[in-house]
Amino acid sequence: MYNSFNGRERLKKNTFYLIVGCIAIALVGIFWYSDVIRTPLLIEVSFIVAVAAIYLVRRRVTDLIEDERDVKITEQAVLRTMQVFWVVFCAFSIGAVMQLLRAPSLPRGFHLEPPPILPELLSPRMIGFFQLGLLCLMIFLYVGFRIYYAGIYGGWEKDEE
Amino acid sequence: MHDLTQEHLAQVIGVNRQTILAIEKGKYVPSLDLAFRIARHFGVPIEEVFIYEDEEQAKVQ
Repeated sequence: MYNSFNGRERLKKNTFYLIVGCIAIALVGIFWYSDVIRTPLLIEVSFIVAVAAIYLVRRRVTDLIEDERDVKITEQAVLRTMQVFWVVFCAFSIGAVMQLLRAPSLPRGFHLEPPPILPELLSPRMIGFFQLGLLCLMIFLYVGFRIYYAGIYGGWEKDEE
Repeated sequence: MHDLTQEHLAQVIGVNRQTILAIEKGKYVPSLDLAFRIARHFGVPIEEVFIYEDEEQAKVQ
């Protein structure tokens, strides 16, 4: 499954994917447990540790080559994802800031009485749902753009050998 | 030219086979570094492996 090379354990690609799968399953479990004990910090720290662990393990994989074409596909996909994502994220953030300021809905008019108290549109529950939507949007955008740019840069060409 | 497979060339150059395939198909333009590495592997000047075409020429063809 893995061998030693220059004192460092070397992994095969399939072993790496297996480890990533195990980490993902563990994260799902931690997510569930952190919900049970009502401690979001647990899953947040676990997620950061898990991603760091994946990066560390990936460095030991011998048969997973990331060349300049892969880097270019990743760069383009990330760039396009962020170009869409920041607009959606800022739109949501502006709405949240308006709620923070208790700004009345437009047009305000010239009356001097205090602005009406608005119903709370962005409850913590709604913010959670919106964050979930943003997360899903980002993942779908990234995967979509990756597939698109892999096609542009010849990722799906038929082999002629 | 050297009776090479894409797989072997990719291994020697240090890229994926898909990248060699994409370069052959003209889908991907390699960096100067990669272009020089490929030319050096074949022992020929870079101009013999890659030809510069500006966008107008590429559209005509």
